[in-house]
Amino acid sequence: MNHTTRTHNLARLQDDIREANLSYLMVAQHMIRTDRAEAQLRLGITEEVVDVIDGLTPGQLARVAASNMLVCRFSCDDKIVWDLLAEHGRRDAAAGLHASIVMASRPLEAA
Amino acid sequence: MKPQRSLVAEARDVERVRTLVKLGARLQLLESVSSLSRERLSRIYKEALGKSPPKGMLPFSTEWFMTWQPNIHSSLFLNLYQRVIKSSDIDDTDALILAYRLYQEQVTMLGHSEALSITRAWCLLRFVSSNMLTLAPCSCCGGRYVVHTYELVKNYRCGLCAPPSRAGKGRAWSSLQNEGQPAVA
Repeated sequence: MNHTTRTHNLARLQDDIREANLSYLMVAQHMIRTDRAEAQLRLGITEEVVDVIDGLTPGQLARVAASNMLVCRFSCDDKIVWDLLAEHGRRDAAAGLHASIVMASRPLEAA
Repeated sequence: MKPQRSLVAEARDVERVRTLVKLGARLQLLESVSSLSRERLSRIYKEALGKSPPKGMLPFSTEWFMTWQPNIHSSLFLNLYQRVIKSSDIDDTDALILAYRLYQEQVTMLGHSEALSITRAWCLLRFVSSNMLTLAPCSCCGGRYVVHTYELVKNYRCGLCAPPSRAGKGRAWSSLQNEGQPAVA
């Protein structure tokens, strides 16, 4: 019983991850094909990775998505940005702008 | 005689000028980023907006960028612009357009109005390229903000980490929310 629940949960988790990966990759590919420069900025990834995602065929995209790891990462790993984003609209009208500036100030990540 | 310009290049120029006009660019900006004559620029302006371009000088002081709300908006724009330049190989004018659009989008999404017009944004870029203004990191939040190049910025704290006493309260607060008529129309 315990074992079957575990297998069931694991299968569900893998489904969720695959779906998140698939959405991310499809949105990313669509953005890249619409406006490359803008997409690169919004996605916060290097030109190399942009090329790779752009070149994925639908079959490859599905295979990459079917992994047990998430392919996308947080673009802000700074506590200050999280605090500011969570704060926005509650007390401090400028917190959202503050978070945007701190995020835009950070060097581009070599993914 | 002037060398023949490619028609494709010219068409691209016209399209770009139209985009800039719709974003609110003044004639001086258009003249500096395109090779079209002043007359043609005026015509494009009239066709796009149905009125003549405003005349008169552009503001030429760096002080505006140092005041509280404009400084916040300019810093956001300049960071976005530098990111665009670093992350792709588009030219300066396309980068101006893209960064300004991203700035507009972000500010609108947060419920503020644009305090920085595209003409001001372009002035800012000129001040930066002539080494009058630059970005310096805030010692508190790590964000980078517009400062005078030769100011002492060792322990600089930005206007958001250390707001001036009147900011964030009363009129200044609501002006951040509601006002924001672009100072350069």
